[in-house]
Amino acid sequence: MVLNDRALRDLYADWLDVATKAGFVISLVAFLLYVGRVLPPYVALDELPRYWNLPVDQFIRATGAPSGWAWLGELRYGDGLNLLAIAFLGLVTPLCYARLVPALVAERDWLQVLLAVAQLAVLLGAASGLVAG
Amino acid sequence: MNAADLAAVPWWIWPIALFVVSFLIGIVAVLAGVGGGVLFVPVVGSLFPFHLDFVRGAGLMFALAGTLSAGPPLLRAGMASLRLVMPLALVGSVASFAGALVGLSLSTALLQTSLGILIIGIAFVIWYLRSADSTAASADALAALLRLEGQFHDPAVGMTIDWRTHQTLLGLAAFGGIGFLGGVFGLGAGFANVPALNLLMAAPLKVAVGSSGLLISVINSSAAWVYIHRGALLPLIVVPSILGVMLGSRIGALLLGVTPASVVRRLVIVVMLLAGGRALSRGLGWF
Repeated sequence: MVLNDRALRDLYADWLDVATKAGFVISLVAFLLYVGRVLPPYVALDELPRYWNLPVDQFIRATGAPSGWAWLGELRYGDGLNLLAIAFLGLVTPLCYARLVPALVAERDWLQVLLAVAQLAVLLGAASGLVAG
Repeated sequence: MNAADLAAVPWWIWPIALFVVSFLIGIVAVLAGVGGGVLFVPVVGSLFPFHLDFVRGAGLMFALAGTLSAGPPLLRAGMASLRLVMPLALVGSVASFAGALVGLSLSTALLQTSLGILIIGIAFVIWYLRSADSTAASADALAALLRLEGQFHDPAVGMTIDWRTHQTLLGLAAFGGIGFLGGVFGLGAGFANVPALNLLMAAPLKVAVGSSGLLISVINSSAAWVYIHRGALLPLIVVPSILGVMLGSRIGALLLGVTPASVVRRLVIVVMLLAGGRALSRGLGWF
């Protein structure tokens, strides 16, 4: 059991390592494109200080900034691309759990399979925005 | 500075200041053994001009980024146990998701006041709590079913420790409560995870610290999506914070061996009391 635990830990760690490093590189590049004005911002950078002290609902009404999945349609803007990078970080854990499931099935560790699938459902349910959007 | 003065400051000052503050918090958090969110949210919420909605969203991503980054070495060293994390994270992530929904529906004054009270309370908890390193617990039925046990080789003492947990139902309930508060206030809640794992469930301290990081990375992933979908993540606030904490955490890890932990712990408590006091006073409209 200990050996299997170690193999699963290492599998999770390997995927976590690669996905996290990719997430940080994407975040850094997207941010430099944004603040370097290589990509135009959806909300002008000079205008942001007028709005960022507002509650989020008022901020969205005042700036027309996207919510829900609408930012996917704004990837040509610097702030839209940065949201993609941030969302990628939010998908790292579901990605690692998804990789874990077939490994747990191969171990015939059904209780852990159930926990992993349930966790995946919670994370993907949160990511879908069906409840929060 | 009043709101008009703050609005007159050039926009680019704020991401640079955020990067510096996040970098410093990253160092201090590692040295003090607390999650950075518990410092980030009250400090940035009190000293920066951003609305608390955006600060809490950034706080969740701050804690998520730090723990994702720290996860691989902790797992490979056996300090984070997947078997221990999976059931607790499942309960915690559902609660955290619910907490984030509740948090974004509360008034700013109520949130500021509650945050101030919570942060001051946590400072006292950190002050009073001591760790336990008993591994003599006998597993309860649920822990045995979930096989919440493992082996951990501690190179500091050259020993391999066989551990198992107990009080599993209480532990699950605790992580439900911790996850909820973390979602409401945008905290990683490492301050509460470690005592719950170590003192309540009897996991060895180093396994508790390592598993707490992995738990935060799972639990915060669900709450982060609430903030993404509500539009409460501003890239200009989130990204410098993520980059700052990553770099700071690495420096903190390098300084870990040469810095007196008790000094850093006192510093963290003082910062939390000041930031918590400021959040409380803002929430109550005192200044």
